Amino acid sequence: MKNAFADEMSSKERIANFLQGKPIDRIPCAPLILNHAARILGVKISEYNQDGKTMGEAHVAAFKKYGNDFIFIFSTTSTLAEAMGTKLFFPEDDAPWVDEPIVKNPEDVDKVKMIDPGKDGRLPVYLEATSLCNEKVGDEVFVGCVFAGPFTTAAALRGTENFVKETYKNPELVHKLLQLSMENALIFIDAILKAKGIPVLVEPVGSGSLISPIQFKKFVLPYLKPIVDKIHEAQLPCILHICGKTSMIVEPMAESGSDALSLDVIDLQEAKKKVGEKVCLIGNVRPAETMLKGKPEDVERESKECIEKAKDNPGGFILSSGCEIPINTPPENILTMINAARKYGKCH
Amino acid sequence: MEGREEILNRLAQSVVEMDEEGAKKAAEDALKAGIDAYEAIMKGLTKGMEIVNDKYEKEEYFVPEILMCSDAMYAGLEVLRPHLKAEKVSHKAKVVIGVVEGDTHDIGKNLVKMMLETAGFEIYDLGRNVPLQSFVDRALEVDANFICMSTLMTTTMDGMKEVIDLLKEKNVRDRFIVMVGGGPISQSFADNIGADGYASNAAAAVRKAKELLERKVILR
Repeated sequence: MKNAFADEMSSKERIANFLQGKPIDRIPCAPLILNHAARILGVKISEYNQDGKTMGEAHVAAFKKYGNDFIFIFSTTSTLAEAMGTKLFFPEDDAPWVDEPIVKNPEDVDKVKMIDPGKDGRLPVYLEATSLCNEKVGDEVFVGCVFAGPFTTAAALRGTENFVKETYKNPELVHKLLQLSMENALIFIDAILKAKGIPVLVEPVGSGSLISPIQFKKFVLPYLKPIVDKIHEAQLPCILHICGKTSMIVEPMAESGSDALSLDVIDLQEAKKKVGEKVCLIGNVRPAETMLKGKPEDVERESKECIEKAKDNPGGFILSSGCEIPINTPPENILTMINAARKYGKCH
Repeated sequence: MEGREEILNRLAQSVVEMDEEGAKKAAEDALKAGIDAYEAIMKGLTKGMEIVNDKYEKEEYFVPEILMCSDAMYAGLEVLRPHLKAEKVSHKAKVVIGVVEGDTHDIGKNLVKMMLETAGFEIYDLGRNVPLQSFVDRALEVDANFICMSTLMTTTMDGMKEVIDLLKEKNVRDRFIVMVGGGPISQSFADNIGADGYASNAAAAVRKAKELLERKVILR
């Protein structure tokens, strides 16, 4: 059922023109296809996330099937923390989770190591996947490589519950962990750039579902800024994704200097009103309710709603899912989203 | 000398102000002043958590604040609990709660647990990554009123339906009130799998639990 409406531009042309403010054929569509890519290649998640070639092939296969306008190389938001010493558990066919944070006691902060992206954890897996996608489909589509922001990484170094409590009990430790996480993110960005990937920043633990706007400004925002600046130095735009509720933090998110905000639980009209002059909006079809559990007609209706709300956003709009496309999403629903961009997102 | 009201008020305020040491001290002072432990819990600690609950719903407090308040609440509770007279706690509704198999995100579950506990429910916490059969077994074993399940992941949400199916297979579905919650869960998902209740946050979960319990009692 591919291409009920044929495209006039390749994904790469569309995104490149979009970023430069030149004409495009239709609004871009970049659902957050992450672990789901393994399903398209027909491999288990644990095969996907342990081997760079497999991860890369999975995203090439997904791109060929769906024609998504951006590739996102990703396994989990704890990957940087893993490279810094946190142990993850890998279920056979699901995304990994934090099993043993490296900082069990505040003194353990000295055990946290500075990363070598060519060696530590599964950073080499990400980098190999990024290079492979660039080799195979890099002339058709931009390849992003996703890494977690300092607040999310620090939470995975310490264990989220302890970490957020320590914003009150031991802010000094919190800032230490944030600083370390930020420095390591900067190192990883260099490696991503070398692999010709576009660094994509995600900061889910900074979500408005978890912390207050006051804490966001105190513990999240200051550490995002150097990362955004670093990406800008490479002449690239910075995409910032935060899932969950974002109504109360969307303004400070924009203050980070990010060029595009990928948003989950927020009305796009509200986001447009608050930050639309400054940033491109990316979102926000509901991942579980609609993409996973909905029928194609639900996906089409909600995609159309998103387009209608944000198509005229001054900073631009990219149709996407609010958060990761659930692993077992029916492929038909993803194709429907992309077709909705073709059908309702014509730009001329 | 500080009166009963002041001490109870101080207990509540220590919880709201995330003050662990303050809560301990106020609990000790309450006992010294001859305040009944149960009253100190209900009119002090629980009252404090109700205020916290309210602040959470108004988006003045978020997860870190609630976790801090709950630490203060538990610190006070630890002091008061040994002084509780048994007959006052025997009629509590029992809740079996856990994060379903395949998922380890348990902050949401812990918030619901803590708020239900302060609202007077008796909690059997199965933890995280809980085998589905364990929900059924434990609920039968303790003769629970509620089975509460949580998940943040889309790959594990269908486990909630499996638990309900297991209950049906055993012909015990009607003995329990099943509540579900977590990031990807919605009212329509809860309806589809045949759960009795859904709540979008911990404060709402307590309200829902009370409402469902009342309804169940009336139907009986």
